[in-house]
Amino acid sequence: MSKLKRSIIAWALLSPLVVLSLFPFAVMFITAVKPQAEVLNPTWWPSEIRWRNFIDMWTVTNFGRALFNSLYTSLIATIGAILVSIPAAYALSRFRFRGRGAFNQFLLISQMLSPIVLVVGLFRLIAALGLVDNVPTVGVIYMAFNIAFTVWMLQSYFATIPKDLEEAAWMEGASRGQTLVKVFLPLVTPAIAVTAIFTFINAWNEFVIALTLLRRQESYTLPIQVFSLVAGRYTVEWHHVMAATLVATIPVAILFAWLQRYLVRGLSLGAVK
Amino acid sequence: MTSRQTAIPYLLILPSLVLAAAIIFWPVGSLIEIATNDVNRFGQLKGWNDFANFSALFANADFIQALWRTGLWTVLVVGGALLVSVPVALILNEDFYGRDIARVILMLPWAVSLTMTAVVWRWALNGESGMLNSALMGLGIISENVQWLASGDLAFAMQVLIGILVTVPFTTTIFLGGLSSIPQDLYEASALEGASRLQQFRHITLPLLKPFINIALVLNTIYVFNSFPIIWVTTQGGPANSTDILVTHLYKLGFRIGKLGEASAVSLIMLAILLIFTIIYVRLAMKEREA
Repeated sequence: MSKLKRSIIAWALLSPLVVLSLFPFAVMFITAVKPQAEVLNPTWWPSEIRWRNFIDMWTVTNFGRALFNSLYTSLIATIGAILVSIPAAYALSRFRFRGRGAFNQFLLISQMLSPIVLVVGLFRLIAALGLVDNVPTVGVIYMAFNIAFTVWMLQSYFATIPKDLEEAAWMEGASRGQTLVKVFLPLVTPAIAVTAIFTFINAWNEFVIALTLLRRQESYTLPIQVFSLVAGRYTVEWHHVMAATLVATIPVAILFAWLQRYLVRGLSLGAVK
Repeated sequence: MTSRQTAIPYLLILPSLVLAAAIIFWPVGSLIEIATNDVNRFGQLKGWNDFANFSALFANADFIQALWRTGLWTVLVVGGALLVSVPVALILNEDFYGRDIARVILMLPWAVSLTMTAVVWRWALNGESGMLNSALMGLGIISENVQWLASGDLAFAMQVLIGILVTVPFTTTIFLGGLSSIPQDLYEASALEGASRLQQFRHITLPLLKPFINIALVLNTIYVFNSFPIIWVTTQGGPANSTDILVTHLYKLGFRIGKLGEASAVSLIMLAILLIFTIIYVRLAMKEREA
């Protein structure tokens, strides 16, 4: 079979799924640029493209504040999770110690316990500490829920770095600490970057913890802000909602689509080891 | 010196251990405490109550319904995603024009947060002015507006389809990893022996893909069983609790009705089920490693 014929068949077979995958983006974009009067008309194409909707959306939906809160929680989660996971992943990939298997099991179970299942207990603890509606607290909770993932990802990369380089540095008289900083860390920087980006996206997309712990609009993250514009309202300004969804989604979606092939390696291998 | 040496790995794992234990395992203790006590809506414990929270749950038709629907939800979404993903992965594993673009497009549903996806679908499925209705009418498939989210059965069917759509990319990626691990000479050898493509699929591809199918099955089961945003954002379990699964039922019990004891009991039941899934996963993963 010629490559051209094969290509036509492949695209034909994939087309339903391609359409379904792109449909939400089409809905977001077309609704976001419709003039307000046309949003509730059941037509597909707008009579004109209103880029102004994006500017209006920014103030109407309180977008800037929610964007700041999302960045704030996601950065706390990412930086914190990476900082505590690098030493743990290093220990798992470079040391043989008693309890190594137990620590792996601990990570596996902590990965299995999803936020939604724990949310009642978590809320009670956070309320007892008086930290409900506190934005950094949500970041710290995301940090904890991402540790298993970051340790696995990092560990699976660390294990691929040959030990010879470090051993050579020891021979030269470098201490373990010096070797770590000067030889090991520069080699694993790309892995750390990729892992950090995925942690950031995880935190960026999180819903249930933010929904439960953030009470005032000023502390909402983007998913909660967008959800609050839709849920339990009689009139929903869909063009603003879709504009907000689009702006909140596109940068992260591009980043994710670009990097996703790195993700599965860590997810499927890391969990096994 | 040696005692210092042996302490190093423990010091290295300590921060992650403490943080994860404090934030993830402490709430489990709290859940056990709440679930086995009488508790008021502010979370004050009023004493041990002989598992009254659990018996209240099993006497509640809504809980039983949600339990069954969770099973249905998990089986349909995971099963549907597997059935779609195997052929998609096989196609993407072929060499054709635009394959890289096709891969990126098909990964998009995974790249968007479930909350945002569900908000978009809630609008697209709007009965009066939703764009799915206008698209289907434009194509002449339907002649009048369909109220997609107004009845429980139809709303649930749509939620299952959305669930499948967002589960396919992850599943496909796992299968692509599996397909790339199958040595090409197996196909060449069998082609020389005169095997047809279907025979190759049944006797080479499928058996060698099986460990990956198993892993995808268990991981997806865990994710889908826990999945909250799709149902919560599109219908909040409504109309009249007819699309509730365990997680949305739990959230309503805990944060709408204020029955914290029963909500914690649901959480513990879910934890027990998840533990079983995890044990299955560990076993499969170990078997995979030995093979």
